[in-house]
Amino acid sequence: MKLLEKMIAPIDKALERFDPVKQSEKGVGGLRDRYYDKTGVAKWREWRGVRDTMVDYTAWLNNILSMVQMVASAPVPIMKAFWEYRWMGSYLGTFMFIDRLFEGYRGPELKIAHMNMHAIVQSLTKRIAFAMKNDRRLGGGPETEKIIPHDETITPLFLKGFKGLYPFPLQTLPEFIICDVDQHIEPYYIDVAESYGLPADVCSRCSAETGVAIDDAFPLFGKVLLSTNMPCNASEATSMFQRRRYGKPDFPITLAMQHNNPEALPYSRETLQNAMKFVEDNYGVKYDWDEFFRYAKLMNEQNTIELEKWDFFKTPYSPLSGIAESLYRLYSWQSVNGQDPYFNKVDRKVIRIMRKCYEEKHLPFGGKTRHRAFLWGPSAVYYTDFPTWTQNCWGITIVLNMDSTMGFNMINTEDPEIAMDDLTRFTEKACMRHHAVGGWENINAVWEWAKNFNCDMVLMNDNIACNGMLGVHGMMEDQARDLGFHFIFIEHDLEDSRTVSRQDMRNCVNKYMSVVLNEQPLDPTIVEFDDSDAY
Amino acid sequence: MMKKFVKPFMKLLSKVLLIGLIGFVATFALYITNGENKLIYYVIRPFLNKHYDSQERDRKI
Repeated sequence: MKLLEKMIAPIDKALERFDPVKQSEKGVGGLRDRYYDKTGVAKWREWRGVRDTMVDYTAWLNNILSMVQMVASAPVPIMKAFWEYRWMGSYLGTFMFIDRLFEGYRGPELKIAHMNMHAIVQSLTKRIAFAMKNDRRLGGGPETEKIIPHDETITPLFLKGFKGLYPFPLQTLPEFIICDVDQHIEPYYIDVAESYGLPADVCSRCSAETGVAIDDAFPLFGKVLLSTNMPCNASEATSMFQRRRYGKPDFPITLAMQHNNPEALPYSRETLQNAMKFVEDNYGVKYDWDEFFRYAKLMNEQNTIELEKWDFFKTPYSPLSGIAESLYRLYSWQSVNGQDPYFNKVDRKVIRIMRKCYEEKHLPFGGKTRHRAFLWGPSAVYYTDFPTWTQNCWGITIVLNMDSTMGFNMINTEDPEIAMDDLTRFTEKACMRHHAVGGWENINAVWEWAKNFNCDMVLMNDNIACNGMLGVHGMMEDQARDLGFHFIFIEHDLEDSRTVSRQDMRNCVNKYMSVVLNEQPLDPTIVEFDDSDAY
Repeated sequence: MMKKFVKPFMKLLSKVLLIGLIGFVATFALYITNGENKLIYYVIRPFLNKHYDSQERDRKI
């Protein structure tokens, strides 16, 4: 290894002038220099030194391979899907998306980020192929009747007790993940919904989902639809629109909003049990607890490793942070939810690297971190690489994201009675629920979390169309001042990049960092730039 | 006896290495020039968007 290092060193030295991180250190350029204006298209890929460029290149090849496998496994349905669904075209932006996410990453940060990302890519590509092979709009397939389409904010784990059936989060492919990849896709669906009279001031996620439904852009499969009131009141409305358009018998899984209250548990538990009964009646498959326990064990392992990761997050030596952490956790918890052992394998590898980094007192991002921030509130889906930008521009490490704190309780894997209670608690703490819904103490918990993770800063995502959160502005500002946290509201419109642009979001941070803290950016080329035409 | 196996093995190995090298050079060139993203952004997506914009979708409710 040392010999290899010796061989690489002179090459790295000679090519150092092409490394944008080194350029910004020397004041002769930076990360934005290699882009064509507005488009987000890079003239060339980031040179990160021989070793890290090879890590990035290998990850790129692996992701290409997953996509080739996807097309090869269902060539005709995939081609039909590209022709039928506008959102399918947006998936072509995946490579640019991944490049954006991990700009400026080096060493173990880059390695872990790509391990996490490839887990998502290999899972998503399989899911796309599976969905398209069985989509009734494209001709259907052998599993069409065995799929249980459910709202993506319902955790699929409890459905794994139905052997031979396939839970499928309906909105994830055409609405949620694709908005991460392409900031211009959801405005189209939002316009479709608004052209039918849906007001423009509702949550854009719910509006986009409604638009997808009206545009007949959801894949069609299954015998029923499991809708939900999660995470919030706007979701109840969009669920109603979607179930009417989807045209299948639906069961609304309405879990308690005040989910911290122990008295709410029996109600939510009964709702889940009724949902299980509904699936049993419609599919003729009996619930199998042993089958469920198999997957609950995988989920418990995911959560056990996650809790160990949190211990490292509290230190300055964690190579995992920002979007590499939160996107993975969001997908691996909410969508995978113990269903795919590949994620357990990745978790085991990642935690080994994290332990090693801690032992070696590895300082991530070249030791340039100036502030440790907790990211609270639902993030702008159209600006997924925002944490990467805060790191590269101002040295603000996003230590943990609110959505990473979703249900981390363990689930009993022997007794169905106890498991049912655990499962209910777990399900109630789903995406955007744990801290954005469920009463004041849930929202206010941010200070405790930020303190526990040794943060000096809180970035509060301010979804301007979230009626639930609009009322807390003043109170949060006051508390931040009293408790001595640096506090920045990041205004955004969740899935509609037209209302608050990415640069508008960056300006929220720029103003605070330059005016209030009087700090200089690490990389001046990325303080202000136009990426309005980028995916 | 050994020579009988070594020679074809070396021949095969050199072929594999050559193919590997050509594969590496081609894919790395595509990677470092950001070639696939340029093709997607400037050619494929505009073509697909044109098609999506011309679609007539039945949105009767």
